[in-house]
Amino acid sequence: MADSIEAIQKAKKTYLLVFGALLVGTVLTVLVATVPALDVGGHGFDIYDAILGLVIATTKSTLVAAIFMHLNHEKKLIYWVFFGAIFFFFTMGALFALSESSPIYDTFFYK
Amino acid sequence: MEIPYIVNARKDTGLINSKIAIWLFLASEVMLFAGFFSAYVYLRMGADYPWPERTLPVLPGLINTFILIASSVTVVFAWVALKLGNWRQFQIYMGITVACAAIFMVFKGIEYNVKFHHQAARLHDYTVVEGHLGYQKDDKEEYVLDRNGKKIEENRIRVVAEKLTFSVKRFHAPWVNEMLSEAEHAKSSIRLIADIKAIISEGGEEETIAKAGEVLSIELLEKIKQVQLDALAHNSALRTDALRMEWKEAKLANPSKRGWQLSSDVNIDMAALSPRLLTEISTVEFTVDPPTRLLFKPRDIKEGAASSTLRDATVITGAMEASPMVFHNLDAIDFQWLVMKAKEKGISPESAIANSWLMKNSKFVREAWTWHIARNENRQAQLTKGYGLKEDGKTPKRTLTHKELYRLGWKDLGEMGVEMQQVKIGGLDKIKEEFMGPNYKARGDKTFPHLSVPREEIRHAAKFTPAWNTYYAIYFTITGLHGLHVVGGALVLLYYLVLGRKMFLSNPEWFANRVEVGGLFWHFVDLVWIFAFPIFYLM
Repeated sequence: MADSIEAIQKAKKTYLLVFGALLVGTVLTVLVATVPALDVGGHGFDIYDAILGLVIATTKSTLVAAIFMHLNHEKKLIYWVFFGAIFFFFTMGALFALSESSPIYDTFFYK
Repeated sequence: MEIPYIVNARKDTGLINSKIAIWLFLASEVMLFAGFFSAYVYLRMGADYPWPERTLPVLPGLINTFILIASSVTVVFAWVALKLGNWRQFQIYMGITVACAAIFMVFKGIEYNVKFHHQAARLHDYTVVEGHLGYQKDDKEEYVLDRNGKKIEENRIRVVAEKLTFSVKRFHAPWVNEMLSEAEHAKSSIRLIADIKAIISEGGEEETIAKAGEVLSIELLEKIKQVQLDALAHNSALRTDALRMEWKEAKLANPSKRGWQLSSDVNIDMAALSPRLLTEISTVEFTVDPPTRLLFKPRDIKEGAASSTLRDATVITGAMEASPMVFHNLDAIDFQWLVMKAKEKGISPESAIANSWLMKNSKFVREAWTWHIARNENRQAQLTKGYGLKEDGKTPKRTLTHKELYRLGWKDLGEMGVEMQQVKIGGLDKIKEEFMGPNYKARGDKTFPHLSVPREEIRHAAKFTPAWNTYYAIYFTITGLHGLHVVGGALVLLYYLVLGRKMFLSNPEWFANRVEVGGLFWHFVDLVWIFAFPIFYLM
């Protein structure tokens, strides 16, 4: 982490740059969802719009986590905790998804 | 007590303790929101109705995103100011952060408030109508007031009560008071139909608990309820004892048998037991003379033509009056669900829409639909012109969405008002619409007309709350939980701002560490919103 005065002053510029990038990312998210000329995939909302929206959101959140939350230069333990949570985040989603391919999932009862 | 490792890092972890603690907490928060976002995905994938895509107002959501991002920067600048030993700058940046949180919550409050006042109804044919309910007016266009001087909303079930049958155990006292009050207002009396007689002690004679003609009161119902509760307690104790004895005897007679093998032989001898039982009074009947109109909220009553039942099991005998749901301003006509159901049955969308109750009974809807079809033809032509046809030379590459084809939202009706009625509104009113939804006052009845829907046509009705559909359920769950995080985080930051001076002077490094930890939580709140905004507002 930036601890010397010089390093902190320098980091301020980075924070402002990230702020700008986040604003641009937000405007971009809205534009691709509302301006027909920027609509990816078919007309209206579809899977391509969902993917694009989530890619932009993930990029923005990576910037926040890496720069504002200082994850770009953290100690090993924090990475274990944070990425452990992210791992379980996806595991939970995968468990739901896998439940549909489970042999005991009988469509007769659920659909 | 001295707290260890709050300024200097532990050797083994290389971190201060509070930082490890906040990251562990944030990890649990990631899991919490992961659960809710997973729920969102599966609710959306499994929805058996047209999911409301891009239905929330984008502008307030966008502004709120800017606000949260800005606050993320100011909170990190506040920490930088502390690192540089500049208290004044810290105050400014932290002040802005807390102000941003307050503005965020104000916008959220406006958004929620609009939802809580917006009515939707699904008819039996799966048409959905949306709008704003008003208040009852009399022939002179004056508001009808209840006895408390409050306006009566046009969404009440009206029943002309002739007889009331209360569940002795379950009657809801405030509703009974409400009925008494209504009856008094209408100069009607509610009296007991027949004597209530009961045996109230074992082996005793039947006694009169209440006499026919007694006026309904909470005290009277409570008195009968007490008799009932005493009887239930006494009788159930007797039955339990009798059953226990039977089991004991059966077990003694058949020591080798298991319990389940004996169960068919064990029965209580009710004939022997009945002389000892007390009288149970489950319901009491009252007559309403003369019959009086009572008003109920739809959620409290299951209405019927000749008899209706309240949630506390009170049965109201009497005819239901016409109790239409009156939209003083209709602002959306939605055939998406109707078309979905029609397609499942192999019926053409056009035919299903033409035969819907709404098309048959509302001239405005017919006109609006004709306008909508013509506009859709133009829109499709533009899409075809812009993106061309597929290889077969017939099918357009891009076609209108299901929502565009079968839903007329308030913006569409506004557009129609401008085209057909030349109803134009000013810039300020338009901006207001982006935050508050349709501006009925500015656009008037021609754009958002009156619509009365008979109660018997309505399958389900609710405000835009979790009761309406799973979309609003998960929307309120996630954004509400996020809002609580905003409030909690802002309170912690406000605490640093208002009460942190002393600690800053005594131990500036410790204070900077605390602000950093609070800031980490605040960034997490921002992170959640970065995903919530596109998911709820733009997808």
